[in-house]
Amino acid sequence: MSRAYRITVKESSTRELKGSDEICTQLEVLEILPPEVMAELLKKELIQKGYTENPDGTLSREDGNTTVTVNPKTFEVSVKSQVGEEVTLESKRETFGYDDVGPGQQELRERLKKQLDDDIDKKAEHESERLQGQATAELEEKLCDLQPELSEVVNKVTREALKQKARQLGNIKELIEDEETGSLTIKIEV
Amino acid sequence: MTTAIAPTGPPAVSRFEYNLLRILRFLVGQMPADQAMNLVYAKLPAPPCLSRVCVRIAQDTLAKASVLHLAESGGWRRDRFLVDRRPTEGRIWERLPLELRTLAFGPSPLAFLMWLTAEKPTDTSNRWDAPGGLTAADELFFLMAYDELKAEPEVAQALVEKHYFRGNPLVRLAYAGDFAGAAPNFAGCFTGTRVAILECLQPVFAQRWIRSERAKGQIGEWKRMRRQGEVELDTLRAFLNAAQDARRPDLARFVLAANSVLLAPPELGLGFWTGGLQGQGPARLADRIETQRAALAFPRQLETLQSWERQARNVGYYEEDYAASQLWKADWELARGDTVAAKARALVERLDPLRTG
Repeated sequence: MSRAYRITVKESSTRELKGSDEICTQLEVLEILPPEVMAELLKKELIQKGYTENPDGTLSREDGNTTVTVNPKTFEVSVKSQVGEEVTLESKRETFGYDDVGPGQQELRERLKKQLDDDIDKKAEHESERLQGQATAELEEKLCDLQPELSEVVNKVTREALKQKARQLGNIKELIEDEETGSLTIKIEV
Repeated sequence: MTTAIAPTGPPAVSRFEYNLLRILRFLVGQMPADQAMNLVYAKLPAPPCLSRVCVRIAQDTLAKASVLHLAESGGWRRDRFLVDRRPTEGRIWERLPLELRTLAFGPSPLAFLMWLTAEKPTDTSNRWDAPGGLTAADELFFLMAYDELKAEPEVAQALVEKHYFRGNPLVRLAYAGDFAGAAPNFAGCFTGTRVAILECLQPVFAQRWIRSERAKGQIGEWKRMRRQGEVELDTLRAFLNAAQDARRPDLARFVLAANSVLLAPPELGLGFWTGGLQGQGPARLADRIETQRAALAFPRQLETLQSWERQARNVGYYEEDYAASQLWKADWELARGDTVAAKARALVERLDPLRTG
């Protein structure tokens, strides 16, 4: 007489999953003064905005999962968002075996284990996609805040460079500056 | 006593040769596709070699059709190109000496025709490919052949893997988006007969790019758009670098001319290129932006052309390149280069999520 038995296999795996997104762009800084002077002005402005200088000469600022890096020499900006999570993934499968016909217990267990590994890989992939989406959403949100901030920085650098250039050209007779609109009028005597 | 000369009938060729010659006439644009495609798809056992008569007819057809093609494409135009660093005006046969206009075919066109007649290109175990380098005339023939065969997507798919199309600079320049992999070496295009061919084909290349760019608005797949744009970018960059190295900006005139036509409508937006993309696209923002930037590969080349114009402005009257630089400045003005380049730049900037200034 054939006897059926049930085999249940559980598998769990803890993985460090990451999702990241990054965009790179270039600040449009006018070449009013020599590049090294413009770089110095940009560096000064960025430090005032909370950026710290790295050993390679770039400036960066971390804000939650997002890191903004500016290279003051090339005016390149990179905004990177990285989300990491330690996830425990579990899966469970059952099957039936018979003691007289069909594959043996060992073989059934191995088959189940293979299926469980696939299940866990799929779950990990799904989780990675979720983290990826989260990283992209955070990046998009960050870009909305960063765009006006960097525009302001570029505007300030341009104004400061214009003032220095004006001083090099002659005596400044009148200087009208509007912080809100960013407009600057300089009258110089050459 | 007089000897009567017997009237000679049409030259006799075998069935295989007859098909081969008909396919050749189709490939050089002298026979409609509907009459020839059944021959392309048919399989016929290939003879060990072709008869003298067949080879003579094939040579005659190739010689006449390729010259006619070049003349019709743009050789007839009274145009200005650089000859020995000086702008020279006239039709192609007035500008260039005969030795630079002589087309010499190698064995590859006939070998290709034999393969195409014997095999069904979409279903064959004979993966024949051109073994060695192609002559300038061979490259022109394969461009003409691709022009005709491209209409059949399955055939085109089978052909893009072959060296005589994939490594052919003329085919890659006319149909950059159809190919994958690294761009071919364009350095050879700026010497000898290839110069004459490039000069003649300028209007053809401009038309091809206009058509290709207009079709981009119909591309729905993000992956396909990115792949096509990246290949186009690589190809155009390689070509423009080679043109700059050879000091022949006039041979890149088609890039300027096509962009001038494409960017002429006042209300042109990004939708012209990316309007057909379906859904949200890739999950990563970086990939979405890269895809859209890739779609603009062609107008982005105006940045390079504008840098040539700036260099040309700085060439002094007594410098060697003065005459050449004047020609590029004239081309730039004729194509409203400044306006067109500003428009292209504005389009690219719209894709920058951190646009400042």
